[in-house]
Amino acid sequence: MVNKKMIPRIESGIPGFDELTSSNDGTGGIPENTATLIYGPPKTGKSIFTNQFTYKGLTNEEPCLYITTDNGYKQFKTNMDEFNWPIEKYLDYNTLYLIDTISDVSQGKPSQSESYIPSYINNPTDIMVKVGSGVNYISKNNQRFRSVIDSATTLLAYNENMLIIRVLKAYLMRVNEAGGTPIIAYTQESADSIVETMLKSMVDNIIQLDGENMYIEAMKGIGKRSSPYQIRDSGITL
Amino acid sequence: MINIQSGIPGFDQLTVSELAEGGIPEKSTTLIYGPPKTGKSIFCNQFTYSGLSNQEPCLYVTTDKGIKQVQRDMMDFQWLIQNYIQNQTIYFIDGISHLSGGKFEGRNNIVSSSVSNPADLMVKVGLGTRNVYKTSNHFRSILDSLNTLFAFNPDQMVIRILKAYLRRITEAGGTGLISYTEGITDPKTEKELISLFNNTIRLNGHYIHIKSDYADFNEVQNFESAYTITDKGIVVNENNFKNIN
Amino acid sequence: MTLKKTHIPKLDDFLGGGMPEGSSILFSAVPGVECEAFGYQILNGIIEDGNRGFIFTNVTDPNNIIYEFKNYGWDLEKYLDEEKVFFVDGSSKFIGLPTIGKYSIDEINQTEEIILKAIEDIPNGVGIINNLSTLIDYLDEDRIVKIISEWNKKAKANNTILVYIFTKWDYKTELIQNIKNNVDAVVSLNSIEERVIIGQGFMVTNASWNHPDNKMVLFFVLQPGGIKIYVPKLLVTGPYNAGKSSFVKSISNKSISVDRMALEKFPTTIAMDIGHVDRDGFVADIFGTPGQERFDLMLDVLAKEAVGAFIMVDSSAPQTFGRAKEMINKTQSESIPKIIVANKQDLPGALAPEKIRDVMKLDDTIPIVPTIVIENNGVETALKTLLKNLYGE
Repeated sequence: MVNKKMIPRIESGIPGFDELTSSNDGTGGIPENTATLIYGPPKTGKSIFTNQFTYKGLTNEEPCLYITTDNGYKQFKTNMDEFNWPIEKYLDYNTLYLIDTISDVSQGKPSQSESYIPSYINNPTDIMVKVGSGVNYISKNNQRFRSVIDSATTLLAYNENMLIIRVLKAYLMRVNEAGGTPIIAYTQESADSIVETMLKSMVDNIIQLDGENMYIEAMKGIGKRSSPYQIRDSGITL
Repeated sequence: MINIQSGIPGFDQLTVSELAEGGIPEKSTTLIYGPPKTGKSIFCNQFTYSGLSNQEPCLYVTTDKGIKQVQRDMMDFQWLIQNYIQNQTIYFIDGISHLSGGKFEGRNNIVSSSVSNPADLMVKVGLGTRNVYKTSNHFRSILDSLNTLFAFNPDQMVIRILKAYLRRITEAGGTGLISYTEGITDPKTEKELISLFNNTIRLNGHYIHIKSDYADFNEVQNFESAYTITDKGIVVNENNFKNIN
Repeated sequence: MTLKKTHIPKLDDFLGGGMPEGSSILFSAVPGVECEAFGYQILNGIIEDGNRGFIFTNVTDPNNIIYEFKNYGWDLEKYLDEEKVFFVDGSSKFIGLPTIGKYSIDEINQTEEIILKAIEDIPNGVGIINNLSTLIDYLDEDRIVKIISEWNKKAKANNTILVYIFTKWDYKTELIQNIKNNVDAVVSLNSIEERVIIGQGFMVTNASWNHPDNKMVLFFVLQPGGIKIYVPKLLVTGPYNAGKSSFVKSISNKSISVDRMALEKFPTTIAMDIGHVDRDGFVADIFGTPGQERFDLMLDVLAKEAVGAFIMVDSSAPQTFGRAKEMINKTQSESIPKIIVANKQDLPGALAPEKIRDVMKLDDTIPIVPTIVIENNGVETALKTLLKNLYGE
């Protein structure tokens, strides 16, 4: 009897990554509908990874529910432009659903798109309500979508830690139920070890970027892998 | 001392001693713990499936993942449980799907509860044990895992829930396997938690360490070996058995 | 002293009519026994009677409670719209959900203040606290007792009734006692176990305004319907002339409570003895069946609803033992606990219980109790023996 166990995967958009994570059945990438934690010391490319992942999806007509907690819209857009990943048009198409918890919108929203949603970093309830609407909005017409939280660190910094853990759990459950593939970025040791261990136990896949090497500490269907990586003009490459 | 088959290749061979044949001691409580992502859930599912294929019913309390996800996880290893769901050999209590915003498809042997409503959880456990006990008074019981319970309740409350749960399961004659990720509570709570169990299994990613407290014989047995996660589940390597006593 | 009805069957009787305005009542449940329904049923009833109320929840969100009410067949939404009820939401903020209700508890330390406000809002009404246990591990133990006493003081001043739902986890005995000492009434919710929970019962263990009837009543929770009392049926059966009628009369109390529906199943041409036992916290309906074979079909039906059976035999008529065994078989299929009542021990030729066991070839698990029913001899022992089998006390 042939063991036909194919875990569907989605293209990461990071050159070399899908090859690194390929399994017996040949395909590589992030396993679909699983949760991933990408963590590491500051400034090792975690945001670049999540942005690259997002952009790849958008160009593949896979919408993305993006929750930004470190950068407001302007900075986010600049970061994307730096690697030549223009996202404005995806906001216009409403395939990029951006929940912006940082920008001060009292003087007007930086984007008039209907999928640009301001929120507040210190109001997790408001963020969750908007996440709920976002998930409903995106999954209405799409079975497959991506989601990013960049980053959990800032959420934890502004709010009571266990509340954020519960909120993240609810987020992961919602996205999973709707068929999405979420990635959460987190700066190593930015919260206490109990919180960090909780985070790791809540996801299916764990990727660590330490500045030089990428370690796949856990991934559904494959064992531990690692590879050196670089940050180039085009993004991260393995 | 009666042991039941674990269903994990190499495990039963590893745990043979003068006191018992290998496997998991029947009607005992076992904590499977270790760092994140070391195969604890896989072990629980493998243990469940082994019982089901031997006509041993299972009471499965899932608090980290919804039942749909559990079924999918088991499918990854070809542990197909749909028939057992149909003929009610497995009874699920899903304590987390209420957060997912989807519609919960319950049935006689699939019920929903909430990790933040421990009283309700215990009511469902009461119903579940009665249900499973009607089928057989030899049943397996899984709680995967304590993590989400700790996220939604104060530490001491989880200890209380755990005590009540273990009491209920052992009273009904079940063999309990409960999972927990090391490091998600403070050391004091963790120590207290571990002390509530007859046996512990620690998976650290490379090694499996089993500790069995045979209270009746006033002895603690220790076993250790290397293990791997294959596409058929966990396999304990028979080459590096260490019976450390 | 105005007594407000709890609308829980039998409970108002046990409490001497109901709960006085301004009193506090604690439902203390063993883990595994359904308890929320008590709070919800009391609220629903008291609102229907024209009062106001609130539900404080820290275990499930208000929407889920509305859904639960619907399952019971009660319309909480209507009361919410009519502002007869409001929520004190101590659960939503905890998991990052938007709060529903008049009051929201954002931080556990606000609980005390906010409940005090809620109590003030509903004079002569009822407040449900679901669930007290969840507060204990968040605030520390001494605080909890102080808080309860503050709440009860405020409730007394406002004539508001407070209903506490409490799960008896393994707290220190002292703490549980302190909590109980600070409320006016305590209802114990227990499980009846035979390896697993096979039944649930409630019992008033304390009521400051009345000497409570310390009776335990079996209940189950129906959806729809709510809490219903379970009155078990005991069968008295056996060969003709074994003394069944006398036995039924002998163990029954004067008052008769009969399940009308069960009666209607049987044609009136059949004389059946019906009695009611109400003793030592145990309540049951007794049905004495006719002994003639032509009524055996009925035995089947009755046995289906019975939880236990007395098989009566005339100890001096061994020729009827075969018939007795046949009747055991007819109830055996339902595997209910049973005892043999070896009656007429006074008659010449009466066989001793153990001899009867030999002749009938019964195994040791079925108790045999010797009786002389017309002298009221052994009857209480027979009842106690069957109850022991039923409840394993």
